Amino acid sequence: MRLWKSWIVTQKDLSVFKKNKYVLYSLVAMPIIMGVVLPVIFIFALNAEIVTLSHAQSLAAANQIVSIATMYLVLIASILPSIIASYSFVGEKVEKSLEPLLATPTTDGELLLGKSLAAFVPCMAVTYIGAAISAPIIDYWSYTKLGVLLIPNLYWLLVMGVIAPLSCIMSVEANIIVSSKVNDIRAAQQLGGLVVLPLVFIVIFAATSAQLSILLALVVSVGLAVADAALFFLSKATFQREEILTKWK
Amino acid sequence: MIEVENLSRKFGNLLAVENVTLHVDEGEVFGFLGPNGAGKTTTVRMLCCLIGKTSGQARIGDFSVDNESDCLKIRKIVGFLPENVGLYDSLSAYRNLDFYGRLYEVPVQKRQENIERLLRLLGIWERREDSVGTFSKGTKQKIAIARALIHEPQVLFLDEPTANLDPEAAKTVRDFILDLKKEKTTIVLNTHNLDEAERLCDRIAILKTRLVAVDSPKNLERSLYNRKTIVHLEGVSDAILAAVKNLSSVKNVRSSDNKLILDIDDPEKDNPKVVRAIVSAGGNIQYVTELRSTLEDVYLKLIREASAK
Repeated sequence: MRLWKSWIVTQKDLSVFKKNKYVLYSLVAMPIIMGVVLPVIFIFALNAEIVTLSHAQSLAAANQIVSIATMYLVLIASILPSIIASYSFVGEKVEKSLEPLLATPTTDGELLLGKSLAAFVPCMAVTYIGAAISAPIIDYWSYTKLGVLLIPNLYWLLVMGVIAPLSCIMSVEANIIVSSKVNDIRAAQQLGGLVVLPLVFIVIFAATSAQLSILLALVVSVGLAVADAALFFLSKATFQREEILTKWK
Repeated sequence: MIEVENLSRKFGNLLAVENVTLHVDEGEVFGFLGPNGAGKTTTVRMLCCLIGKTSGQARIGDFSVDNESDCLKIRKIVGFLPENVGLYDSLSAYRNLDFYGRLYEVPVQKRQENIERLLRLLGIWERREDSVGTFSKGTKQKIAIARALIHEPQVLFLDEPTANLDPEAAKTVRDFILDLKKEKTTIVLNTHNLDEAERLCDRIAILKTRLVAVDSPKNLERSLYNRKTIVHLEGVSDAILAAVKNLSSVKNVRSSDNKLILDIDDPEKDNPKVVRAIVSAGGNIQYVTELRSTLEDVYLKLIREASAK
C-alpha cells in the first residue's frame, strides 16, 4: 500500500469539494451549529437553573451539559460523511470518472483509502474545529460561574479522541457500501443518513445517561470498533474495480 | 506488443468474449469493429487489467494480465480513453491532467512539460485554468485523450474516441490520432465508425463475441468478392473478348454495356497486360477501374453470418 498514492486521490477530492458550495456550506454550518449554537443554548438554560441549585448540583448539571454537547460533536463526525462521501463515490459515478481512475497504476486499496480519507479528513477537521470553538465557550462559562474548567476531562477526551473518529470511519464505510447501490447523490445522502441513524440513537441515549458516561463511552467505543471492522471488510469487498465496472450501475 | 490467445470472458451465463486470439504489432493502429454488445469494451477492459478474464492468455509487452503485480505495470504502460470521458468538471484542464500525471508517477518536471506540450498541441493551453465543465464535448474529448497520453504510454486504448462528437470535433480527434500514428504509438481503437476504422487502422478485427475476421481494411474489402477489374470501352467486339480470354491471368470475363468485367488475382501486375491485349485487338479504352466492395459491405456480411451461427 503506497500511502502517497492514496494522498494524491485525497488531495484531488478535497480540491473538488472546495469547488462544491453544498459541501462547503455543510462543512461551515455544522461546527457553527453543533459547536457554538448548541452550547450557548445549553448555557442559557443552565444559567436560569443555576440560581436555585447548590454548587455541587450546578457542577453535576454542568458536567451533563458537557457530555451532551460533546456527543453532539460526534454527530458532526457521523453525519457529515454521508454528505461528503456521497460526493466522493457517487460523484465519481455521476461524472463517470471512475473508469479512467481505475485504469491508473493504483491498487483498489490505495483508491479506497484515498477516497475514504477525503471524506474522513474534512469531517474530523470540522469536528475538531467545533470542539475547539465549544470548549472555550463552555470553559469560560464554567470558570466564571463555578470556578472550574470542565473541559478537557476524561469523558471528553475519550469521545473526541476515540468515539468521534470511529463514528466517522463507520459512516464513511457505510457510505461506500451505499454508493455501490445508488446512482444519484441525493439518494446516497438519504440512505447514508439512514445508516447513521443508530449512531444518533446512541448519542441521544448517552446524552440522557450522563452518570454512566465514561463506562458508556467505553462500551460505545468497543461497539464502534467492532462495527468498523465488519464494515471495513464489507466496503473492501464492494470497492473492487471489477465490481465497480460491472455492477456499480 | 499485444498477444492475445483464446481470451474469453463470461458474465454469469452470458459469454461476452469467446476465444479471441490476435496480436498487435508495435506502432500499429489496430481497430475493433463490432455492433453494441460484441465484446469490444470487455476485451479492451481485460487488456487494460480493469476486469479479469474467464480463460485464455493476454500479454501487453512483457507483462501478463493474469498477474496482479504485472497488472500494475500494464496500467503504467497503457493509456486508456474510456467511452465516457470522465473528467472532473469542477477542476481545470491543467489540474485534471496533473492529477493523472501524478497517479501515473510522472516526475514533476516531465509532467509539467507533457501537460504543456499536449495542451498546446490540442489548442487548449490558453484555457488551461478554465474548469473542464465550461468546455465543449469535443474539447473535453481532446483533454481526455491528453489524459491518456500524459505518461507517454507504449500502448493507447481508445474506446469510441469520436462517438457523440460533431463532425468538426471528430475530425480534430481523428487528425490527432493520425499524428500519434506517425509517432509510432501502438493504438487499439474501438469504434462503430467504419469510415474512421478504414482511415485510421492498419488492421481491423471484426468482433461479434468471437473474432470474425482480422485483416487490413483493403484486404477485408477484397475478401467479399474476388478482385475484379472493369474496363470501359467504346465498344466490345468478339476479337477483344477472345484476346482477353486468352490471357492466363484472367480467370473469368463478362461483358456488359461496353464494359468488360475481369476476375484477376493480381490486378497491379496483370492489368497492363489486359490493356495491351485489348488495344492490340483494336479496342478503344475509355478508363480502367477496380470493382471494390466497401468495408461496410464486408462488415455487414460478416456480422450477419456470425449472428446466424
